[in-house]
Amino acid sequence: MSNETNIATDVIQVSHLKVSFLDNHVLKDFTIQLKQGENLIILGASGSGKSVLIKCIIGLMVADSGSIKVFGDEVTELTPEELNKMRAKVGFLFQSNALYDSMTIRENLRFPLIRHWVKNVRETAEELVMEALTNVGLEDTADKFPSELSGGMQKRIALARTLILKPQVILYDEPTAGLDPITGKEICQLMLELQKKYHTSSIIITHDLNCVKIMASRIVMLIDGICYATGTFEELKQLKDKRVTDFFD
Amino acid sequence: MKPISQSTFLLEIGDLYLFSLRFFKEVFKPRYEFAELIKQCFYIGYKTVPLVAITGFIMGLVITIQSHPSMEAFGAESWLPSVVSVSLVREIVPVITALICAGKIGSSIGAEIGSMSVSEQINAMEVSGANPFKYLVVTRVIASMLMVPLLVVISDTIGLYGAFLGVNMKQVISFHLFTNQVFLKLTFQDIIPSIIKSFFFGFAIGIIGCFKGYNTKNGTRGVGSTANSAVVASIFAVFVIDLMAAQIADILHLN
Ligand SMILES: Nc1ncnc2c1ncn2[C@@H]1O[C@H](COP(=O)(O)OP(=O)(O)O)[C@@H](O)[C@H]1O
Ligand SMILES: [Mg+2]
Repeated sequence: MSNETNIATDVIQVSHLKVSFLDNHVLKDFTIQLKQGENLIILGASGSGKSVLIKCIIGLMVADSGSIKVFGDEVTELTPEELNKMRAKVGFLFQSNALYDSMTIRENLRFPLIRHWVKNVRETAEELVMEALTNVGLEDTADKFPSELSGGMQKRIALARTLILKPQVILYDEPTAGLDPITGKEICQLMLELQKKYHTSSIIITHDLNCVKIMASRIVMLIDGICYATGTFEELKQLKDKRVTDFFD
Repeated sequence: MKPISQSTFLLEIGDLYLFSLRFFKEVFKPRYEFAELIKQCFYIGYKTVPLVAITGFIMGLVITIQSHPSMEAFGAESWLPSVVSVSLVREIVPVITALICAGKIGSSIGAEIGSMSVSEQINAMEVSGANPFKYLVVTRVIASMLMVPLLVVISDTIGLYGAFLGVNMKQVISFHLFTNQVFLKLTFQDIIPSIIKSFFFGFAIGIIGCFKGYNTKNGTRGVGSTANSAVVASIFAVFVIDLMAAQIADILHLN
């Protein structure tokens, strides 16, 4: 049809997504696109289905209906091998960090390497682990366990683990939630820095206005299970709709 | 909170059945997690040895001391080693060891996998290209299937030594004579079924711990109730399997 070029640069395309749990209709008719190089912020109240959305994108949850295309491929139609290949290109930063607490930081970072890259991983793994740790400024923690680190450091390690496969797209689930404002800001700076270094596109779920200001190329408001409004920070701030402006006070 | 009704109990049995089927489907598929299996054998097996060794010893000693008066009353004191050893090896040691494992292994597997589930570590494994079911469940169930019988054998041996000391408290008997009397009655027909039975105990303890852990809900609060219900359910399963094993042994005339 009309915009073929547009489709080519859309890294992720979510259209008419519906997800419900029994009679809890979380996403009703949700449509967004993530363009190459873009930082898309998703704003929405707690429990509005933001985490559900990105879990559907990475294939951890299955939507009731609608379509999700990542790099042009329909996620639900991928074979397990293809799904794994896709997941190597799409990083996911969990809200709870999800560091494996029975493993050291080094083993945590090696885990995705060993499983996603079969070839030559034994020789290069150590190098990649150290590179990832240097990226987040925590070279000396390799032999510690996650529980020995502070919340901010754990978040950095989780970020390092997400980035270790050099993904093209990163999905962040509330990267600064539960951190103090200063640490939160540091994490945001770090995200921006690494985004510039590796030229990633990202979807960022956050309530943190600081983070929104620093990172946002575009903002999507997820309200009542639909894409309620979209635009840049300035555009949305000027809207007269109270449900939108409530997020910016 | 919903009251626990018959239907939720049956639903859970159904889910456990499906979970076990998935185990048998995944266990032979490649990408074997040997390193993790060895690690789990260490945690499940080696770390439980002291506990089962001490209880095995106490069981052997206590059963012998308590059987002594009645055997003496029948003038059958010399039968004490053989009678005690058969009941130890056939029934008491496997069941007591399995119960201890249900408490120790069942709760630790349930709590570990449960906390991994609520802190999204299982999801993280999945996006990291691992199959969390193989990595977590298959390794733990196999480790527990291998280790519980081994622990039973260790506990058997130490239990028999306890029985030897127990016999010696009231009469003097050489170790040589004791073992002779034991193996007069105790044969492979007693030992093999008890090992096979412990294999199933190990499977039940492992699969129930993993099942409960995998289905943990309600955040950290859920982890506590997972550990609790994993222990209760696997203790129950041990007794059910024991009953079934006794029936099957009876049918096969292994008594
Ligand atoms: N696995 C699940 N089972 C049932 N309900 C769920 C599940 N996951 C999420 N939900 C529900 O979906 C809604 C949205 O959850 P979520 O996406 O986590 O919200 P948030 O926008 O805060 O990230 C919530 O009401 C939650 O209760
Ligand atoms: Mg969320």
